[in-house]
Amino acid sequence: MLMCRDLARISSDYIDGNLGTADNLSVKMHILMCKDCRSFIGNLRESVRLLKGHSGFRLDEEYANRLDSAVEKALKEQ
Amino acid sequence: MATLSDTPQKEAGLVDALKAGDQQAFRIAVREYSPDMLAVARYYLDHSSAEDVVQDTWVNVVDAIQKFEGRSGLKTWLHRIVANRCKNRLRTANREVSSEFGEVLEPGIADRFESGGRWATPPKLRFEEHAESLMENDALSECLDKHLSSLPEKQRSAVMLYEAHQHNADDVCNILDINASNLRVLVHRARQKIYLMVERFQETGEC
Repeated sequence: MLMCRDLARISSDYIDGNLGTADNLSVKMHILMCKDCRSFIGNLRESVRLLKGHSGFRLDEEYANRLDSAVEKALKEQ
Repeated sequence: MATLSDTPQKEAGLVDALKAGDQQAFRIAVREYSPDMLAVARYYLDHSSAEDVVQDTWVNVVDAIQKFEGRSGLKTWLHRIVANRCKNRLRTANREVSSEFGEVLEPGIADRFESGGRWATPPKLRFEEHAESLMENDALSECLDKHLSSLPEKQRSAVMLYEAHQHNADDVCNILDINASNLRVLVHRARQKIYLMVERFQETGEC
């Protein structure tokens, strides 16, 4: 039988739809009966949603200027 | 966030301007694409070498953009150039990227089970009941930035490319030179760290 720890190990694969039919069914059965794992999967899904909503890092302006200068020089040398 | 590459039309316009050697277009592209290019480079190299590779890549792109045919997106094309340059550099230095793909559970999660495999310390809250306030919470966004910054490089690169920028898994594997199961481990570990961060934040209000 699938234990809670086993479920946590494959939880990303479950969320992403990467599990085979048998494993997928085992997870579904388990979370039907286990409130804690239901919360865990729900929470992990929300964490993924938060990550997908992240807009990425901003570039350090000093470094961006350094890149601009390098590009400018290359354009002139073309 | 609306970006230049939101639509193929906008990206095509940018590519045309880059091909024409438009300096302003390069300034815009540098700001739009470099953060992710750095994420790719940091997967392979230290901070300062990664910055050098991204700079070399842009200098190279000034000419190489003429050969860009749009078979992949501009972003993917740039990421591949960065990855290849990093790999060449490692090859020259005769080094390999070390890999650590063994354990799939984060210690902070793994510790929460009894020896039999049931939860000893179960999840405390249900995030979905707070979903809207989660997404709109500025303090939590800052906290997310902080935690993403402190992820191990490999996890951060994988999660930034796969989640935040929604490359498909094949592209990410190609760019990071890993197989699909390694990518799943990196992403799963990073997700668990973010899970623990949100849980702590909701519980204590602290990052």
